[in-house]
This record gives sequence, structure tokens and C-alpha cells, in this order.
Amino acid sequence: MIEFELNGTPVAFHGASDTPLLWAIRDHFRLKGSKFGCGAGLCGACTMHLDDVAVRTCVLPVASVAGKRVTTIEGLTDNHELHPLQQAWVDHNVPQCGYCQSGQIMSAAALLSTTPNPSVADINNALAGNICRCGCYPRIKEAILSVAALTVTDETRAELAYDATAEAPSS
Amino acid sequence: MTVRNVSRRGFLQMGAATGGGLIIGLTLPGCSFSGALPINRDAGAFIPHAFLQITPDNAITFYCPSDEMGQGIRTGLATIIGEELDVHPHNMTVTSAGSHKDYANPEFGIQLTGGSNAIRAFWGPLRQTGANTRALLLEAAALDLGVPASQLATDNGHVVTDGQRLPYGDFVSTAAGMAMPKQSALKANTAFKYIGSEFTRVDALAKSTGTAQFGIDADIPDMVFAVVARAPVAGARVSAVDSDAALAMPGVRHIVPISSGIAVVADAYWQAKKAADALVIRWEDKPLKRVNSAQVRKDLDTALERGEDLEASSQGDVDVGFDVADSIVEADYFAPFLAHAPLEPVNATLHIRGDTADLWTGVQSIQGAQGLVERITGLPRGNIRVHNLYLGGGFGRRATLTHIVEVTEIAMAVNEPVQLLWSREDDIRHGVYRPASLMRLKAGVSNDGRVIAWQAQRSGGNITTDTLTTMLPAMLPNLPNALINGLSGLAKYVFSQWTVDPSSVEGLHETYDFDNYRVSHATVDHGLPLTFWRSVGHSYTAFAVESMMDELADRAGMNPLTFRLANTRNRPRMHGVLARAKRATDEMVVAEGHHLGIAAHNSFHTDVVEIAEVSVESGDIRVHKVTCVADVGTAVNPDIVRAQLEGAVMFGLTAALYGRIDLKNGEVQQSNFHDYPILRMDQAPAVDVILVNSGGDPTGIGEPGVPPLAPAIANAVFRATGQRLRELPLTLA
Ligand code: FES
Ligand code: FES
Repeated sequence: MIEFELNGTPVAFHGASDTPLLWAIRDHFRLKGSKFGCGAGLCGACTMHLDDVAVRTCVLPVASVAGKRVTTIEGLTDNHELHPLQQAWVDHNVPQCGYCQSGQIMSAAALLSTTPNPSVADINNALAGNICRCGCYPRIKEAILSVAALTVTDETRAELAYDATAEAPSS
Repeated sequence: MTVRNVSRRGFLQMGAATGGGLIIGLTLPGCSFSGALPINRDAGAFIPHAFLQITPDNAITFYCPSDEMGQGIRTGLATIIGEELDVHPHNMTVTSAGSHKDYANPEFGIQLTGGSNAIRAFWGPLRQTGANTRALLLEAAALDLGVPASQLATDNGHVVTDGQRLPYGDFVSTAAGMAMPKQSALKANTAFKYIGSEFTRVDALAKSTGTAQFGIDADIPDMVFAVVARAPVAGARVSAVDSDAALAMPGVRHIVPISSGIAVVADAYWQAKKAADALVIRWEDKPLKRVNSAQVRKDLDTALERGEDLEASSQGDVDVGFDVADSIVEADYFAPFLAHAPLEPVNATLHIRGDTADLWTGVQSIQGAQGLVERITGLPRGNIRVHNLYLGGGFGRRATLTHIVEVTEIAMAVNEPVQLLWSREDDIRHGVYRPASLMRLKAGVSNDGRVIAWQAQRSGGNITTDTLTTMLPAMLPNLPNALINGLSGLAKYVFSQWTVDPSSVEGLHETYDFDNYRVSHATVDHGLPLTFWRSVGHSYTAFAVESMMDELADRAGMNPLTFRLANTRNRPRMHGVLARAKRATDEMVVAEGHHLGIAAHNSFHTDVVEIAEVSVESGDIRVHKVTCVADVGTAVNPDIVRAQLEGAVMFGLTAALYGRIDLKNGEVQQSNFHDYPILRMDQAPAVDVILVNSGGDPTGIGEPGVPPLAPAIANAVFRATGQRLRELPLTLA
């Protein structure tokens, strides 16, 4: 038996201890907001918070979360309020198919909790593990920046319009 | 634990052929379900037709006939009907329609979402339906209120009279007893309130909170989970299996041999997956087993060398054109097989109870899914309820319904509701693919920049025949297998020997005024299953055509946009988009070391020009920004149109920089996102969208942003390096 805290509630899992956390959450605890995209830690669709850190749960055995706090998209806020990121997602019309978005939002929320003023490079780093096959990236970036407690300067704007040049020597 | 065989014998029966359906240009006997509408009526509700339900407390539900896979169709179609009905889409519940003939796509004649046509095809019919319904509600209100209908107006779900706003719901019981007007007047475009305005998608909130239900999220009490071990070489059947180890694993309930492989059914997905990996299977031999990627490329070349190509279309006299041309350019372009890799792997959940069944899935043809369950189980169609949930990406992949066949075969062998899920490896290795294509182009240009001769040859597999093979059994569930096989075989023969599959060559000449052109095609089929892939034939033809146009512009010593303008004088819509793109590039400040590449393409009735700003640094192609100039006619929701173009840029860039499916001994070599990479946030360019509205009804937007992307990048790379990259994915020498 593996005990941990799921969205603020103590829970126990009785299945095989090598079951990836994602499947324990989806199949056993029946929370379906976290998604399966690759099963190999490559796409971020399964992202949850483990003690406030974003983790890929499709490759994380449930045994390794014993005694820890697990937060899924369902528990991102108390009382079903919208997280500011979720409001920004709606306002920016971010989702297309929507399948990656739980993972994107969980990665973005973990970033903002440690880095309330992220640069575009910070955002790129924190979300590079989250694939969006529909290609919502420009809107995801704008939505995160709109929430960040940062006065968007002209400089940041220029960086946003050209963020791919961030690593380019010529810019 | 059981090991059971599934037999389909005895379930097949000849059915009465009624009605008419148009499938990809072939008229076939009836395939649409025409029983009761698949709508649960709320108390006192008025259901005037298949699309709406209005309750006395004014809850308005719109049953969306097209499948939401990210393209924003639920919002778009709700806006179209809502405009004439006068209800804002945010004031309706928009839900996925079940399967019924009334939901058939007006252009296809079947319930199928694809070809970027839903907005265009439903534009007229849904406006008329909305207008008729509004007129009926007004007549009912006139009767109830004792006021002439001409003195009543509407506002967002309400009848307005004397400053009073009375909800539509007040009048539904009267309306229910009245006849629906047939041709109520439509609004003038200038009077649109919702069409053309920007508001958030109707699914934005559910998709930002993890509450949107996708096929994979179907949660049926007591359901069990299935994983299928499939042949490494497409189409091979099992010749022997040792399932002892798998059966002994925890949670495993059944091992079920099915047509595509061996299914393991367990209490949890993870258990089923581990047990499926423990199966030891020997597969039959297939000719595809002797195919490698290098051989495919060679075979495509040989077919053209041998002159096996059939003429697809032509105009004028190409040979005379070449004689008088000032210069002639010839080049070959190649595009590989590609997988779709929607982020949600395909899946389906089926519960068969006695003589009824419930299916939960997310597919591009729920009618087809229902048809397959009917065909395989033999249950009457009216007893099969289908629930189409959100699709976690489609891109053409979810029009192929192999997983519905699989889940049906499995569900018939077990007693529990069963959920079948493909892994990412299953998706990439055992899918259906965009065909590999070789394009051989020869063009003659005059010194003043007119293309006066154009010859385009393509070799590769045909999409339509493979698609017919998978769609016919779904759309015509009562047609016996032998007849289906006969029809598929006939289609294969027709498209390789008599005539050219239009999908194979689409886009090879249509964008420009080529007075003298000839397009031809040689079918080379290696047996890898093929299907539509976002933008279909255009996904490879635009790469060839637009790379060649760039070479010709260079030869004529002209700016690439001026050159294209000179060759679109009879295509006013594309000409206008090019002119707008010219203005945009003239105003651009391009950073030092960055280079612009442009490409134009007409597809799905939409004209798009893309301008890519690219640099090449230490052997890496970096794409900084892409400007899309597009004419989609009336943009129903301009922000969703922009989002589709942004997404198409990322989709196109993934293919341009990384996309390739390779075969070795007939087996797909790629398996997951480490070797089939998808563009990530840190590589995503900024996208600027400029919409040119030439008026007119809306045209396609889901796909047309993809085709010009790869050639725009390739043309920019040429400016940066002097290298012409004529193969996808783009790789610098
Ligand atoms: S499903 Fe976990 S990273 Fe892809
Ligand atoms: S919205 Fe479809 S994968 Fe991101």
C-alpha cells in the first residue's frame, strides 16, 4: 500500500508499486484531467506537481510519491476557482484540441510559483517538455506573460515577437 | 481468465439499400441512419430539427454535426446558426451530435469531418435553419402576444416588444404546434452581430480546467482495459502466439485474438500494457517486409524513368511552350512518409449489453464508427448509441477507424465494458501515413517573368483507394465483405491504370495561370497503409511547386513576390493576397543575418502566402517569424482563423524540419517523440497573421496554412546559404 496526499486529501493506493503515477491517478482515482501522450517522459501531457515541482508522471512509479503531496489540474486551486493562468488561457483563446493543456498549465503554474517574473527564455525552458501538437505555443507564451507579475516592457515585447532569436548570436 | 476467438461469420447480412450518399465522388447506396434523432428531450423542450433543442426555461442546445478536434468547429458552427437564430454562442450549450442522416456533411453526403469544408459546407444550410427557426419563434410569439410578427424583434435568445425582452423559451410550446417556415430571409452580411466578431471559443474553459472529456476519459463503471499487440509489418496476421506468460500476469483477464493482432484485457491499462509486451507472437510474411526507405525512393524514381505516369490534366501546348521559353529549369523534389501523431493516441470504449451497445470515442466520422459496430456485431443500428467526445487532435488520423474494429472484436469476446488505448509507439508504428512522394518538375520561363510551360509529374501511393478500403465497410455496414473487397480492388485498379487519384496530384498547378501545363502521375504502392494527412496532397505538392517558382523567379531575375504576381493575373483572390504580402515584406525590417523566404498556395478554396524569416547558424535552420497572409473570405471568428494559421505554421514546421517515417524490412523505424520529434516551445517562431477579406462566403482554414510553410523555409534557406534543399525534411549539406 502506498500512501500520499492527492489534491489535499490523504489517499492510499493498493495496486502494483511500479504502476506509473499517471495510471494510478487516471485508472484508480478516476481523475481524468491529466493526460497520456507518450508514456516516456517526452511530451508533458501527464504533468502534475509533486511537492510543488512539475513532474512527468507517466514515468514516475507510484511508490516514489509515498508520503508526498501530489497535485493534479483538478486540485490546482481550491473550491474550483480559476487559477489566474486558467483565466488567461480562456482570455487568450489558447486551447485548440485542448489535450495538452492540463500539462501546459501545470508546468506554467510550477514556473510562476518559483519565478513570478519569468523571461521568455525562462518560459521556453520550463515548457520545452510540453508538446502541443496543435501548435498553441505563441498563445501559451502570451497567456503566461499576461499573468506574470511583470510589467511587459518594449524590450520583452520585442523578445516575444522574436523569441527564437534568444539564442541566436546575431540578435 | 479466458481465451476466446472472435468470429465475424454470421453477423454479416445483406440490408436494404435506401437513400443516397456521395462518398468521394462515387454514388453508393444508402448508408445514413435515418431513425429517431439521437437527442435526449428535456421536459417540455422543443426540438424543431436535428440541430436545436430549446427548453421552456430558455436553455438552448446546439447539436454540432462536425467533430471538434481543435479547429474550433463547435464555436464556428454555433456562430453560424446563432447569427440567424439570434443567440450568442456563449448563450448556448454546444454539444457533439450523435449519428443521424440529418447531420451528414452537405458536401460529402456522409457524417465526416475533414477536407477543411465544414464551415463552407454548413454555411448556407445552418444559416437557413437558424433563420427559419427564428421566424417560427417570432410567429409563435405573435400568436401568444396578439401582436403582428412584424412588430417584434429579437435579441440574443429573446423576443423584444415594447421594450420587453421575453425569452424564446416562453414560446416553444406554441411553436411546437406550428409548421416550420422553409425559406425565411437571411440577414445581410452587413447586419452580422456574431459572425466576424471575436469571442472566446465555446470549449476554452473546459479545455483550460481539465474537464473537457476526450475519448480516453470515458469512465464506465466496471470497465476493463485492452492493449493490442500488432504486427510490426502492416497487415500481417498472427501465425502463432505464446500467451502463457502474459496470461499469468497480475490483473490479466482475457487474451483475445482479433483481426489485427492479439488483445490483452486487464483490470488496469498498465497491467494490460505490461502483459501485451510479454506476448510472443510470430507473424505471417508480407511483401511489405522486403521494403526499405531507400527502395521506396528508387521505385518512385524508376516509375517516372519508365514513363509509367498517366496524364491527370493539361492545357495548351507544353512542348511549344518549352520551345519558346527563354530558360528551362528541371528539378526533383521528395517528401517522405509521415505519421500524424495527434497528442491523444486513438482509443475507444465499447459496452455491449445484450442487443444494445454504447460506444464512446473521438473520431472524424461517428457515423462510420457506428457503422463498424453494426457490421461486426450485427446489432440493429438503432440499438447502437454513439457518444463522440472531444478529439485530442485529428489531422486526418481519426478518419481511419481501425481502433473501432478492434474494440468491437474485443468487446464481443468479453462481458465487461472495455476501453482500448493505443500507446504512442502503436500510434507511430502501426498507423496510417502520408504517402512518400517524388515530384519531377520542368518549367519554362520567359525573360519577362511569365511561366510559359509547366510540366509536373508525381509518383507514389494513392490516398483515395486506401481510404475507400477503410471507409466502405464503415459507411456501408450491410454490404458484404466480398463486395467491399471487390470495390476496393476495383478502385485500386482504376486509380493505377485508368485515371489519376485527384488527391495524389492536387496542388501541382492550380495556384497559377499556366497557359501550357501538363500534370501526370505514376502509382507506386508499397502496401504501407495511407491516408489524409493535414492538407493531403498539397502537403507535398506545394513544396515542389513553390520551390520551383522560387528558382524560376531567380532565373528571371525577379523579386519572388513580383514574379508570383505576374503569374496570377487571372486569379484575383491570390493576386490580392500576394499584393498584400508584398506590402508586408516591403515594410519589414529584417534583422542582420536573417533572410526571408516566401511561398504561396491555394488549397481548400483558401489562398495563403507565408513569409518566413530564417537564419542559418552553425548548421542549424532557425525560424524566427512567419507572417501568414490569407484570404478565407468571411472569417466567422477571426481569432480562431488566426489560431488555425498559427497552429498550421507549427505543424508545417515540424514536418519541414524533422518529419520522416522510415521503413526497414517493412517496419516503421520511428516509435515515439524522441525519434519522431514535434516542434517544441523553444523552437516555435512568432506568427503574424494578416487576413485579407475579399468578401464572399467562408473558405477552408484547418489545412491551408500547412502547404506553403516548408517551401517558404526552403526558399529562405536558399537566400541564407545558396543551397537549394529539395528533400523533406530539410537538411543542410
Ligand atoms: S505522457 Fe508523460 S511525458 Fe508524455
Ligand atoms: S491544443 Fe492540441 S495538443 Fe495542444
